[in-house]
Amino acid sequence: MTELGEHCDQVCTELHAAWAIAKKDIIIYYLKPNIIVSGMLFPIFMFLAFAIGRPEVPAVMIPGLIAITILFSASSIEPVSIPIERRMKTFDRLLSAPISLHTVVLGESMSGFLYSLGIAFVPLIAGLILFPTPIVGFAALIAGLVLTSFCFATMGTLFAAYPTESPGDIMSMLNLVRLPLIFVSGVLIPLEQIPQIGQYIAYFSPLTYGNDLIQAAFAGDTHFNPAIDVVMLLLFILIFQFVANRLYKKYND
Amino acid sequence: MYAIEALSLSKRFGNIQALSQVDFTVNEGETFGFLGPNGAGKTTTIRILTGISAPTQGSARIFGRDIVRDTIAARRQMGIVHETSNIYTDLSAWQNLMFTAELYNVGKKEREKRGAELLELFGLTERRDDKTNGFSKGMKRRLTLAMGLINHPRLLFLDEPTSGLDVQSNLIIRDVISELNKTGVTVFLTTHNIEEANLACDRVAIINRGHIAAIDSPERLKNTIQSVQSIEVAFDPVSLVRVEDLEQIPSVSEVRKQGDKFRLITEDPPGVLEEIMEYSRNHNVRVISVTTLGPSLEDVFIRLTGLDIRTKGVKAID
Ligand SMILES: Nc1ncnc2c1ncn2[C@@H]1O[C@H](COP(=O)(O)OP(=O)(O)O)[C@@H](O)[C@H]1O
Ligand SMILES: [Mg+2]
Repeated sequence: MTELGEHCDQVCTELHAAWAIAKKDIIIYYLKPNIIVSGMLFPIFMFLAFAIGRPEVPAVMIPGLIAITILFSASSIEPVSIPIERRMKTFDRLLSAPISLHTVVLGESMSGFLYSLGIAFVPLIAGLILFPTPIVGFAALIAGLVLTSFCFATMGTLFAAYPTESPGDIMSMLNLVRLPLIFVSGVLIPLEQIPQIGQYIAYFSPLTYGNDLIQAAFAGDTHFNPAIDVVMLLLFILIFQFVANRLYKKYND
Repeated sequence: MYAIEALSLSKRFGNIQALSQVDFTVNEGETFGFLGPNGAGKTTTIRILTGISAPTQGSARIFGRDIVRDTIAARRQMGIVHETSNIYTDLSAWQNLMFTAELYNVGKKEREKRGAELLELFGLTERRDDKTNGFSKGMKRRLTLAMGLINHPRLLFLDEPTSGLDVQSNLIIRDVISELNKTGVTVFLTTHNIEEANLACDRVAIINRGHIAAIDSPERLKNTIQSVQSIEVAFDPVSLVRVEDLEQIPSVSEVRKQGDKFRLITEDPPGVLEEIMEYSRNHNVRVISVTTLGPSLEDVFIRLTGLDIRTKGVKAID
């Protein structure tokens, strides 16, 4: 019993510390103008630019818009905050605290996660108010929002492991991945319409599954069973978490 | 049990050997100094002892816990004050303290009480809710120290705590270190300031280029080079006195000009004293003060490392 109690103590301690790390980023970054631009305005403008002049009913595009917004907003905090923490040497505080490196990675991801959950409500509410976009699967919607946000937040933390003190370095690497992802994940162009090679790549894109799950919530076109989407997103989260942990350890010296 | 045991620690960065077989122990309750010039390996040692970086070879234990295998348990006992004042400049002093406390799992009631005490101790109470980006260098340093103490550590690491600070901050920090020592906290501090090591530390390790040159109490280190004695002499008018002339005196091995005084290193102070009087008569200058001195820690440092402190970034007085 005591052993169980101690084990729980350590888990609670780690979670508490992760939350403390998230809270500090929330206070510092949520209201920074460049975060709002890159996390919220950029995906929406980009989507509009793509959507204008297309024949589809806007309602069909709402799930895709949500998915893209999550992709960009979830991965907009850590790639900025972590290089700055490196430069200010505050990152050493996290690295020398009595907590596991996994907790540092988790705590850093949490601020991006919560941020994008909040931002995702902008296209969601706009869709509900402006267009007749019925939500048919609430469980799929919640799972889609939560898992996709968490997945891309962890991806942002993973990219931020690259040992630089300049956010621009990480942002440009990240865009090298994020921009192609939106073209091969069935968000803007349906999967059937992209070349065969693109369809293979789509299997390795978490955005494919996040978008698919959100589409399911809106009764849009889906390619996979929602359960597959959930499993794949969880798998990506685990992979990102473990690779991030390894990279932070490797680059610490 | 030792507070710190470093067993043959080595660290390589590419082809730079930053530490070579560093061995030492620190007793519980001791203030232990790591004295060395820039680039000697002081920060590298602290980063290994706090588990941020792993040694290439060797191992270290903190209160018996291996820092690589049992990192979290070892870290729970420590407070760390890093070389740069690493505070969040977008947060207030209070938010910085509370954040650190949460990282160290200090309960809400306890951290608020301790936080208020520490702000008071470091003279920051009035700036409690101000964002720290407007703080002076000394205030940032004091806050960094407060953050290092928020979890009541048994062992405090201080990486160059007073380097380049204003006098007021310096005095507060030195006071706090000596108070901590009285309450049984073990302090491991690095410095390139010989006088600081001399004043604050029970024992000092002299480190140079990743090698430990000596470890002992400041007094015992001085005794090991008892042959180095010196005479400090002031002349009036000082402008008529040339270092080269004083260097001609037999049995003077070295002359250092220190402010308006000259320090003559010798093994024969009485003999040199006579020569100085002779010199003052011949050159029409008056001797206005003479002091004979034993070896200083500075002398030990120079003897052991072969470094001239004035050129290598080690300061005698800060
Ligand atoms: N991350 C690193 N990569 C490469 N070399 C390093 C790194 N950290 C320290 N060094 C080198 O190790 C040596 C010791 O550095 P350091 O421990 O910072 O010295 P000190 O703190 O005594 O001034 C220096 O030569 C420094 O350049
Ligand atoms: Mg250093």
